[in-house]
Amino acid sequence: MGYPHKPHPKETPVLSRYFGEADARSYKGWVKRGGYEAWEQARTMAPAAITELVKESGLRGRGGAGFPTGLKWSFMPREKKAPHYLCVNADESEPGTFKDREILRWTPHQLLEGTAIAARAIQAEVAYIYIRGEFTEPWAVMEQALAEAERAGVFGDLKIYLHRGAGAYICGEETALMNSIEGKRGNPRIKPPFPAAAGLFGMPTTINNVETLAAVPHIVKRGAAWYKAMSLASPKSTGTKLFSVCGQVAKPGNYEVVMGFPLKDLLYELCGGMRPGRTLKAVIPGGSSVPILTREEAETTLLDYEGCAEKGTMLGSGGVIVFDDSADLVYQIMRLAQFYAHESCAQCTQCREGTAWTTKILRRILAGQGKPSDLDLLLDLADNMTGKTICVLSDSCAAPVVSGIKKFRNEFEDYIAGRKRPVAAA
Amino acid sequence: MPDDLVTLTIDDVAISVPKGTLVIEAAKQAGVLVPHYCYHPGLPVAGVCRMCLVEVEKAPKLQIACATPVAEGMVVRTQSPEAKRARQGVLELLLINHPLDCPICDQAGECELQDFVFQEGRPGTRYAEYPKRFNPVEDFGPDVLYVPNRCILCTRCVRFMEDVAGQPVLNVSERGDRAYIGIHPAARLDHPWAGNVVDLCPVGSLLSKDFLHKARAWELDKTPSVCTGCSQGCNVTLDTRDNVVVRVRPRPNLEVNRYFICDHGRLEYRWMNRGDRVEAPLVTQPGHGYRAVDWDEAFDRAREILGGARGRAVTLASPRASTEALYLARRLLAGFAWTGAVRVVVGEEAPLPGVPNLALRAERAPNLRGAELLGYHRDWTRALEAAADAAIVLVLDDATAPVRATGKVVYLGTVMPETGVRAPDLVLPIANAAEEEGTFVNRDGRVQRYFQARTAPGMARPAWWVLGELLAAASGGDAPGSAAAAFDLLAAEVPAFRELSYRALGMTGRLVADPTATTAGARA
Amino acid sequence: MTKVRDATAPRPQGTDYQPVFVGQTLERLHQILTRYPTKQAALLPALWLVQEAHGWISDRHMAEVAEVLGLTPAYVKGVVTFYTMYHQHPVGKNFVQVCTTSPCNVCGAEDVVRAFLEHTGAKDLGATSPDGRWTVIEVECLGACGFATPVLINDDFIESVTPERVPELVRKYG
Repeated sequence: MGYPHKPHPKETPVLSRYFGEADARSYKGWVKRGGYEAWEQARTMAPAAITELVKESGLRGRGGAGFPTGLKWSFMPREKKAPHYLCVNADESEPGTFKDREILRWTPHQLLEGTAIAARAIQAEVAYIYIRGEFTEPWAVMEQALAEAERAGVFGDLKIYLHRGAGAYICGEETALMNSIEGKRGNPRIKPPFPAAAGLFGMPTTINNVETLAAVPHIVKRGAAWYKAMSLASPKSTGTKLFSVCGQVAKPGNYEVVMGFPLKDLLYELCGGMRPGRTLKAVIPGGSSVPILTREEAETTLLDYEGCAEKGTMLGSGGVIVFDDSADLVYQIMRLAQFYAHESCAQCTQCREGTAWTTKILRRILAGQGKPSDLDLLLDLADNMTGKTICVLSDSCAAPVVSGIKKFRNEFEDYIAGRKRPVAAA
Repeated sequence: MPDDLVTLTIDDVAISVPKGTLVIEAAKQAGVLVPHYCYHPGLPVAGVCRMCLVEVEKAPKLQIACATPVAEGMVVRTQSPEAKRARQGVLELLLINHPLDCPICDQAGECELQDFVFQEGRPGTRYAEYPKRFNPVEDFGPDVLYVPNRCILCTRCVRFMEDVAGQPVLNVSERGDRAYIGIHPAARLDHPWAGNVVDLCPVGSLLSKDFLHKARAWELDKTPSVCTGCSQGCNVTLDTRDNVVVRVRPRPNLEVNRYFICDHGRLEYRWMNRGDRVEAPLVTQPGHGYRAVDWDEAFDRAREILGGARGRAVTLASPRASTEALYLARRLLAGFAWTGAVRVVVGEEAPLPGVPNLALRAERAPNLRGAELLGYHRDWTRALEAAADAAIVLVLDDATAPVRATGKVVYLGTVMPETGVRAPDLVLPIANAAEEEGTFVNRDGRVQRYFQARTAPGMARPAWWVLGELLAAASGGDAPGSAAAAFDLLAAEVPAFRELSYRALGMTGRLVADPTATTAGARA
Repeated sequence: MTKVRDATAPRPQGTDYQPVFVGQTLERLHQILTRYPTKQAALLPALWLVQEAHGWISDRHMAEVAEVLGLTPAYVKGVVTFYTMYHQHPVGKNFVQVCTTSPCNVCGAEDVVRAFLEHTGAKDLGATSPDGRWTVIEVECLGACGFATPVLINDDFIESVTPERVPELVRKYG
């Protein structure tokens, strides 16, 4: 195991600063690097003051939705009448995204410190870190780090527990994750009630993504103004962001840049561009659930919440999936639809049936049996799957289909018209 | 307007409903049925079928009416193009894996999928080229079959077993379009209230073995009735096909049984269809056994019997007898020193944990309370002893009462008394509870009407009619011409019923005065 | 009438069943229970303990878990079937999960799958090799897309697997 790259000069390593340093994983090593100073500082602060500081920093949720973190914390009851819980979402499973995994396995204490601070801010006495079942190595690292920190008595009365998932993408949805901790099927819940009113075990709960919480100690330590100043484009997007670049690119990996960083520079400079002889075809910039960008769109996109929205897509989790000119987008979109069909929890009709049907239509097109009307059918189906269900899994299935057909219609038509050799879907 | 009422508009109809009401319930009050599958007022909200999507003004997207509480000034449109399109989309998706085997499906005709597709579904399918999902039929329990191919995963059955029956033996298994309703191989769907999952199922996925292939829904006549299975008094509907009761289903009554009945009540109905009935009045003819006669002759004979007797009279009644019949039977014998009793069969009590005060009651006696209010007691042994030397014994619909009487025995019954008991001097054929109108009083003192579901055979008549005619013949005056008139007679005389009128009982009943008293009313 | 049967009571299913929750495993479960306000919340960890001890989770095991946690077997089965990492049948000594979701797919993940099927002798996805040593499946996103193709062999997470590396891995785990 080794971290694959030294930071590029255009990177701003805040969260990733100690990636690759095995020593940073130990409690001692973390303290040596200034670890837990922010936590000690936060312990002297009133919970509301911590929340206010995070609000001021402009930090927004890094799990995908981009909801302002401080605001989310402020929804928790000020006056505590029942147990409060903090859930840490380490169920990273959005295709294209692998940033939390690096935080977990390289800087476990960074996450634990952020967790402790957040727990104090929302007056939680218990925090559960929900780690996806497949993350065997991050689990082991976290388990050891937690044991060391507990032995050192770092967290006082706060209890932090690890909870292992067992193979379900949807458990990354916040209420599904809570159900999963409660020993249920990972079904998303209808909202309201929102978690701050009735979340885990029916109690006021806040849930944050790993990367979000990892940023918190830095904000406490260096101030809201410092964090807020890190912004290259929209003032509504602040701080640094880890971008997981993957797919057909020369140097895939996690790159930490300031919000508003040009996607073009990320791809061509930090990631070394395309593989030899290849040109860029398309990019999914925020994990598989967001609309696809064409090369032209991608090369002019600024990587922050607003910059992506301007291009009709989303920053999402920051999972940048790159397709070069050799990629068969019809096949890859089918593969994404299949992912969602596999992961649908089965509750909502549109999702349960729609994801599977979408996959079948795409497979048939690939097999050379498509009809010209199939594309309209796919779009109509996608419309039916968008904005109508409990969670956004079905919307996520529709996004690449709709944007794919809109922007790369010719690739679909080539199969339908028999201009391209059919492929048997695996 | 009181503070706890909220005014909103649904499809241009303005209504005021209590705060916290769900849009889907408010819509019902506005006369609008929002199509739905997973929602059921007797179950926790799931919000999963997404069928009840409606447009709510100012909301960014369509909302599900089943999980959206009303708000002041809310404007809801169930028929907006967007809402209709969304629901059409759900219907299309529910149908892609649905077998369309309506011609052989028990649910056809009362299937909510069929109904809503007919109402607002697409005329054709766009899923023609693909095979449909297939899973074999499963035997879930004593009376329930699961046909997974028809299942739309609304989860009503799962929620009923988990949240209402308190015995989660059903689950949703697997994920995505592979999902189905599952059961652990070592478990059975044999809870005493399990049959409700069949009623709750909006499609033909959960079937009653008892009703399997018995009738098409459109062949059924439906009659509101009250369950005769125990003293709980659950409201039911008797489904008849060509004058035969083929199914008993719950009829909602929020005060008694909400939306449910137990399997005992559901399946104990065959006696209503018995063929071996007494179809004419029978009088004894010395040396020749019985002779069938017309009612006039029967009444003459009754007048002779009653008029010629003095002293003690005993009524031995079935607790299935109507309040009206029990009252008239007592009044008929007012000139005697009277004792009346009902025979109460006792069984195992089986509560439905999710509904307060709802159980299959140990007393399998639907009108026990009514009888008690009218002065009958339940000491059957004592009553039989009293009957032994009474001048008159009036048996009301108990074919197995072991009567050993030296006096005269008048028997009103649906079937001939069992051989081996003292043969009655007069047999008067009466209708059973499915064949007449009348009332029962449940254990909580609720007087509830039941209606006639089938015609009585031959000359059999409701017991209240027979007894009313006997009374008129014995004492002069008019016989009550209807169950209502009989009830009003009793209401005028018996204090517990004094505030009630037959008409005011409506479809869900009314409580007697002082319903908490264990026994009230006139004493003989 | 039908009688109420306590659905939580597992029915006897032969006598050769070895309960999982005894001795140390039971102690571990008790330790886990202290972390949650409800017993039900220990369900996923309890199922992991079963899989660790037995390799897969049978219906009888589900009944045992149900009994230990005060749930019904059907409830437990509903949960088990939701999570893809719980095995509902025996698998090979080495359980190989190859990510084939788009980011890995586009980097040749399906070739890696084919290489595993060929070199392990498992032949078909989900089938166990005749020697009982290998079961290979495709999985959806393992969350290591930058290290295409990630493969889980049992609990070992192996990054950047190419078809060329497969024979060596197969030898190593044999």
